[in-house]
Amino acid sequence: MKKLKEISIIDDDPITIFGIKKMLDSLDICNTITTYHNGKLAIDGIRKGIAAGKGVPEILFLDINMPIMDGWQFLEEFIALPLEQAVRINIVTSSIDPADLQNWEFYKTKTHHHLDFINKPIRLKDIAEITTAA
Amino acid sequence: MVKETRTTTNNYLIKQLPKATAFINPAFELVYVSDRWIADFELEKSNVIGQSIFELFGDGATEHLKSLEACLTGEGGSSSNYSFTDSEGRERWFEWSHIPWYDDHENIIGVIIQADEITRQVQDHEQLEKLEMLLNQKSTIAKIGSWEYDVINQRLRWSSMTRQIHGVPKDFEPDLDTALEFYKEGFSRNTISMAVFKALEEGITWSEKLQLITAQGKEIWVIAAGKPLYKDGILQGLIGTIQDITDHVRSEIKIRESENLLRTVVDNLPLNVYIKDLESRKILVNRWECEFLGVKDASDLLGKTDFDFYDKKMAQVFREEDLSVLNSLTPILGKESLNVKPDGTITTFLSSKIPLMGTDGKAFGLLGISMDISNLKKQEAELRDLINVTSLQNKKLVNFAHIVSHNLRSHTANFSMLLEFLVTEKDAAERKKIIEMLTMASDNLLETMENLNEVVSISTNSGQKKKAVNLTEAIGAVTHNLSAFLNTHKAKVINQVAAATRVNVIPAYLDNILTNIITNAVKFRDPSRPPVITISAEKLEHYTLLKITDNGLGIDLEKHKDKLFGMYKTFHDNPEARGIGLYITKNQIEAMEGKISVDSTVGKGSTFNIYFNEKA
Repeated sequence: MKKLKEISIIDDDPITIFGIKKMLDSLDICNTITTYHNGKLAIDGIRKGIAAGKGVPEILFLDINMPIMDGWQFLEEFIALPLEQAVRINIVTSSIDPADLQNWEFYKTKTHHHLDFINKPIRLKDIAEITTAA
Repeated sequence: MVKETRTTTNNYLIKQLPKATAFINPAFELVYVSDRWIADFELEKSNVIGQSIFELFGDGATEHLKSLEACLTGEGGSSSNYSFTDSEGRERWFEWSHIPWYDDHENIIGVIIQADEITRQVQDHEQLEKLEMLLNQKSTIAKIGSWEYDVINQRLRWSSMTRQIHGVPKDFEPDLDTALEFYKEGFSRNTISMAVFKALEEGITWSEKLQLITAQGKEIWVIAAGKPLYKDGILQGLIGTIQDITDHVRSEIKIRESENLLRTVVDNLPLNVYIKDLESRKILVNRWECEFLGVKDASDLLGKTDFDFYDKKMAQVFREEDLSVLNSLTPILGKESLNVKPDGTITTFLSSKIPLMGTDGKAFGLLGISMDISNLKKQEAELRDLINVTSLQNKKLVNFAHIVSHNLRSHTANFSMLLEFLVTEKDAAERKKIIEMLTMASDNLLETMENLNEVVSISTNSGQKKKAVNLTEAIGAVTHNLSAFLNTHKAKVINQVAAATRVNVIPAYLDNILTNIITNAVKFRDPSRPPVITISAEKLEHYTLLKITDNGLGIDLEKHKDKLFGMYKTFHDNPEARGIGLYITKNQIEAMEGKISVDSTVGKGSTFNIYFNEKA
């Protein structure tokens, strides 16, 4: 299997970042893992990457509840980016608020990117399944 | 010949007799007749003499045969009636008297018949019979009996109807005393005794409605009437009538009772009831309608219209409604309508207007029934408010439950994940790192639990009593406690609150609110300038408004408005932001039935407006 170029983890919880990173390392499926602590930092980072001609990460792990800019606000801006390729976005949350599920359904219809909704905790056995590029 | 001559002579005398008279021979043939006879019986003059009386008068005369024969034998005269229908169709009655006809020698040579017209008498007689019959009929149908009292012989005579009314047999012989004793003791007997006495002594007539006890012990109502009779100025006796009006009185009582019942029902219905005529004038109102319109008596409303009691606009609305019912003949049923009296009193009615139709199918008025549902409406509104409050609280509760579950879930998810790593991890350095992470997760969980506890305690302690607190002093105390923190950051607090300003608060909440907002103002200061916090207050109608203005970073309200007071929401990339302070502040303000809002401009600063409820 061809190694992925970049995976981004967007989460304000260092433990979650540690965990996902550890699992991705063990699978050894990508060259670079970038992490952002909130949506604002992430969208700025991704825009910078595009501007520098590095492209965008193939896979995003996205938390919903974050300071400054939350997952949904990030998504709003991300899907507005003029990207031809489809990015796989795994929304990872411990929320059971039905409003979040509704938001997911809503954004799925608005974008060509592949949106998944995954409840925490993420298990190692799930990771392989959700890390194939869209 | 001689005979004939005589005949002619006599003929002239007889002709002129004033009465209808005929002379017949033993063969019953007419020999002489008076002109009157011919006229009375409408005979033909030329065709009478020599004719048999039976031929001329037919069957009517045959009945007289015996009497005529008796006359011929000299047995003396008799008389009997004869009738015929004349040319004008009237029945005419005559009394025929027969007497023997003697000649000079006392020989009977025939019969003289004299006819007296008695049509009038016969008719009078018939009339009398008819009247008697009618009277009897009437007295039977109307139950009117009559009586006569003969003063001289002290005899009382009752008609059969009178006996029947008293319930006594046909042979019952009353006297004045027994007659009076039939009347019910008390008012009735006293009245009749007095009436009879006055009639006898003073000649006064009477007519009284009285109660009478029959021989069978039945109580009945009668009209007893009587008057004295005089002859040549001397009292002869009394005559009078007695009429059984029990049925009449009973039905009258019944009608009055049902009228009373209806009236009582209509008056006591907790509804406004009225009847209006075609001009919308009230022609019947019940007590509630009177009370509603503030009049003591129905007569103050009768004949008046709504224009007399409401302002023109309101009255016009009612009149148009009336007209639509009267014209369409379609009732308005259970319509909710507002009634505004000139004094401004507003009543909500559930009202119906029903057309009243005469036998000709045309409306002659309308019946109005209105129920005052103002209280119901008020209760409905209160209930709706309550539902709103409850659903709001419920929403908050659900929100809180989501927060709790989310926060606990995220920690447990971390525990679960880290423990999974720990089980399989061989590398000692990596294991140490995982355990560090576990410790961090545990600390986070503890902190979350403390925060949630704090939130819960606000909700459960909302029963705490509010006290009047001097706002200036409270601000002074908080800034004093924070003085080290404020000094470190060179922050300045300007207290512009008037010295006497007091607010009704739970003191511990006020401290917490002030501490939190002042601390936030410093935490999120603009690094380019020292923090300045200005505090002012003003009295509003229901609230005291406390304004806390800073010159910090400001918040992008466009983006963060929804999340500003949410739990675990932070807006600044600042390690000191915990996302719990404003959530608790808002809960505490709301627990005191106040509210909080914020104005902010990024780069300039924020103003928090805190409304302390002074009414609740």
